Amino acid sequence: MISDITLGYLILLFPLFTFVVNGLFLGNRNAKAAAALAVTCNGLAAASAIIVAIHYFASDFAPQKAVLFEYVFIPFASTLVAKIGMLIDPLSVMMLVVVTFISFMVNIYSIGYMREDRSAGRFFSLLSLFSFSMLGLVVATNLFQMFIFWELVGVSSYLLIGFWYHKPSAVSASKQAFILTRFADSFFLFGIVLVSYVVGSFDFSTINALTLSAFKASTINLGLCTVSSADALILGSVMIFTGGWGKSAMFPMHIWLPNAMEGPTPVSSIIHSATMVVAGVYLVARLFPFFTICGNTLTLIMWVGAFTMVFAAVIACTQKDIKRILAYSTLSQLGYMMFALGACKIHMVIAVTGWTASTFHIFTHAFFKCSLFLIAGSLIHQVHTNDLDAMGGLRKKMPITYVCTLISVLAISGIPPFSGFFSKDEILLAAFQGHHYVVFALALLTSGLTTFYMFRLFFLAFHGKPRHEGVRAGHVHEDFAMTLPIAILAAPALLSGILCKGLFAKFFVPGRLRVPHLLRLAEAEWIPFAAVGVAIVALVLAWLFYASPKAKIQRALDESNRCGLYKVVYHKFYFDEMYYAVVRQFIFGGIARVARAFNDYVIEGLLAFSVWFIHKLGDLVRTAQAGYLPFYLGTLIVGVLLWRFFGQLPL
Amino acid sequence: MLDFIFPNYIVPDLLLLLFPFIVIGARLFCTAQSKLPWRIANVGFIAIFVLLNFIPLANGAGKFFISNWKVDDFGILMREVLIISAILGMWLSKDYFDHSGEKEQMHQIAEFIGAIAFATFGGFAVVSACDLLTFFLGLEIATIPMYALTAWNKKDQLGSEAATKYILMGSVATAFELFGFSYLYGFAGSLHFSEIQAAVSSGTSPLLWVAVLFLFCGIGFKLTLFPFHTWAPDVYEGAPTPVTAVISVTSKATAIAFLVVLVYGPFAPIQEQIAPLIALLAGTTLFVGNLGALKQSRLRRFMAYSSIAQAGYIMVALLGPASIAKTAIIYYLFIYAVSNYLAFFVFGIIGHYREETFASLRGLSKQNLGLAIALAVSMFSLAGIPPLAGFFGKFHLFFSSASTGHYAIVTFAVLNNVLALFYYIQLIKSAWVDEPEGTLSPLRLTKRQRNVVILLTIAIIALGILPFLSNNVFSGFSL
Repeated sequence: MISDITLGYLILLFPLFTFVVNGLFLGNRNAKAAAALAVTCNGLAAASAIIVAIHYFASDFAPQKAVLFEYVFIPFASTLVAKIGMLIDPLSVMMLVVVTFISFMVNIYSIGYMREDRSAGRFFSLLSLFSFSMLGLVVATNLFQMFIFWELVGVSSYLLIGFWYHKPSAVSASKQAFILTRFADSFFLFGIVLVSYVVGSFDFSTINALTLSAFKASTINLGLCTVSSADALILGSVMIFTGGWGKSAMFPMHIWLPNAMEGPTPVSSIIHSATMVVAGVYLVARLFPFFTICGNTLTLIMWVGAFTMVFAAVIACTQKDIKRILAYSTLSQLGYMMFALGACKIHMVIAVTGWTASTFHIFTHAFFKCSLFLIAGSLIHQVHTNDLDAMGGLRKKMPITYVCTLISVLAISGIPPFSGFFSKDEILLAAFQGHHYVVFALALLTSGLTTFYMFRLFFLAFHGKPRHEGVRAGHVHEDFAMTLPIAILAAPALLSGILCKGLFAKFFVPGRLRVPHLLRLAEAEWIPFAAVGVAIVALVLAWLFYASPKAKIQRALDESNRCGLYKVVYHKFYFDEMYYAVVRQFIFGGIARVARAFNDYVIEGLLAFSVWFIHKLGDLVRTAQAGYLPFYLGTLIVGVLLWRFFGQLPL
Repeated sequence: MLDFIFPNYIVPDLLLLLFPFIVIGARLFCTAQSKLPWRIANVGFIAIFVLLNFIPLANGAGKFFISNWKVDDFGILMREVLIISAILGMWLSKDYFDHSGEKEQMHQIAEFIGAIAFATFGGFAVVSACDLLTFFLGLEIATIPMYALTAWNKKDQLGSEAATKYILMGSVATAFELFGFSYLYGFAGSLHFSEIQAAVSSGTSPLLWVAVLFLFCGIGFKLTLFPFHTWAPDVYEGAPTPVTAVISVTSKATAIAFLVVLVYGPFAPIQEQIAPLIALLAGTTLFVGNLGALKQSRLRRFMAYSSIAQAGYIMVALLGPASIAKTAIIYYLFIYAVSNYLAFFVFGIIGHYREETFASLRGLSKQNLGLAIALAVSMFSLAGIPPLAGFFGKFHLFFSSASTGHYAIVTFAVLNNVLALFYYIQLIKSAWVDEPEGTLSPLRLTKRQRNVVILLTIAIIALGILPFLSNNVFSGFSL
């Protein structure tokens, strides 16, 4: 039997190995071998992760933390050492399973999806890099390791979103994603520096065990002003959250995520379900005890999450590009996770329902969202368009896909007994228990909106009459390599909620929190009924608009005859345009132009002047070399006099 | 034998003294076409070089022969540099005696080699001297053959003109030196170095400073320090190519050895006071050398300015403490000799068939890749680009000066290196990038030329990437 430590290494090394071998050797020569290697290695990594998870949860050791291995990476000072290690606790084990499993599925799917692509080898290599980076992130034992892998996730997402680099839109999307998340990461780095400076450690175990009162007395100088260490920690916590803010694409840094649809669909699938965007939520969950002591940071997190949730759901109701609808739905679901974490704060005390609910939602969401993206990819692959205008009537042509879609759509809508119901119910409960009634109402509303736009997508894609010649002509069929992972993922999308509810309730509490036991949490038996009721109303509405025999689908799809508000929403509140305006006018037109002018005139001018000056001096030396002997002899005498006066000899 | 121990460390010096007479004498007994003198010369030089390597290093204060001829670590390593220079100069010159090509054919190889040997012996005398008389004689023995070598082609007007300039300016410089020596004697009351040193350390007077000024100005002529460098471009241009190479290495090595002996011998107690003068000489020299090289189009003029600048770089090391400075200078001289000779071999090969200008180098990489690589290696080494030997040489020079805190001059020298890189790369650009204008006559290499070029190229690369090869140089000065 292989020990758990070995398995821990293997989980990380399999994807890395795939990346190196595919990237350096196999990728360009033999795409089929590269695909086989990627699927095998990621499958083995998934198997290892599942074995580790079973060992861990089955043992008595379970909710405690363990470090499987740890190496010194950079010793900054004798007390401040950056390490690379592997942390095992319920959260990281759960993430290991999710990431490796989703990565395995996506790799299988990519065999079918990338079959005709010439650079499939590169794709498989980068995909493995992506999952390796995310795995390194989730097992991080300290902030520094997390930041390293955090950036690696950013780089690999950049490479994958811009995978089709011959498409200008893909290039600009990848740049947008990279620059925007890097912008947020710079705050993250600042936060890390600040917190590690105050605390004197990068380790999560140290940072999560702090109490703010110990830092009230001392002060630190931030350059502009001097603040108490406690305030510095609160500032640091907001900065660190800003990193997650950008990575999880919370409003207003959300625009990169829908645009990241330019990448191949398997990439979107893995970004939205397991890697990249959940990193932000994971960061907050990982540092949750730290955030709880830091003033109102959790409240900020809650409102950011809640706003993004509603905002994205509203936009999703009007979109017609299926991948964009799914992208906005991800934003909305991430908002759920974020606000659930923030909602744990009830005035001065902390409840943990939200934390459990949020991690539970990461888990269930990963499966159905991955499945939905893979389905979207399948549809696009068959119909050759992203547009709902051109779909419809695919039910008969793609029966397995149809059934799986139904499962996933029901799951995301929160209809029992599908997985999403359980986690969403927990989140609603957390909001209610926290006395955050406004947020609770918003969440309930969003739940309805979610059901509405998901069924809108579902009905428009699969029901009604075919609106596409290819579908009418019967060119559409199901691809085995692409349908297999969709079918496999349907199982956890259906069952993960009901099966794992107990597991999460038992093990998933954020470690080392002093939760007052006497705290009486409101019980609300009626919440699930209310949520399901809202969902069913929304479902019926969607059916009436888009699938009932009387529905005027052509009219519903036509966005030209709508009121102004609809147009604003349809154009995503003009956020892309606002960003472009700021970037073009202010950064490119203002700052960049000034910098350019400084470079062109001042720096280059100085350079040109010194070159000209040196050449003039060179001419002078040449001119002095006239070949005239008396002059040369004169220089000897002049030389003696010269050094007599300038040689600084004490003559 | 009784208790008479034969001083075997003196054997190479004695051999070298006898050597020119043997070579020239051998010519009397054979025909003009005979290769005998050439073979004797080869065997002799190489034998001397091998014997030098058998003298153990790190023997402290050195050994004395008749109390007036010192053989120490620095002396032995300098001897090796000088002998290497002589051997390479001889090999370079051989082709000028064999076939003519574009250039006028040279005659009387035996005398030519004899002159080089005499100059080399002069260098030996400088590093072995213990008193001013030997010292001065060594310098003159090293210089006078150079005058003759410059005018070796009697019908070449440029050569004669160059020799005239050289000898006239050299005489003035010698006068400066003698003037300086006489003041030094007047100050110390002795010709012997140890007594002069004792006198200097017990106190200074204007007499001493006049001596210092004139000695530096006098040797400044041989070392081509600013503003005494003016002869160099004309002489380098006018003399036959192998002579230019010998002047640029042997003459310069002798001159720098002269300064090292002075600064770390009699003048050691006042090194701090003369540091500003050394720094100024070094700074102006390397700046003027670099400026001059910027605008040249003729290869040997270019090399003249390049070697002026190199002299400035070597001077920088004189600011450091004795052992570090000596090590750095010896090491650099080895590398300088190898790099410079490689460049001159390439220029010599080109000069056989074409004009010695930048334009003749054009398209070299396509006509003769090996030669173009050798040229690039030599130029990059002179410019001090890692991992070639020149980089480490320069590093040690600057390290020596920096270890006594003269950061300003080191910074200036490093900045100047950027300037130097510019013109060295221009030369490489001519050979690798520029297309030739019109047709250039084809190049042919003799077997000797090819072997030497390969040997030197490998040496430059190997000295750079395998630093332990030079361990003997560094261990010799372990304190």
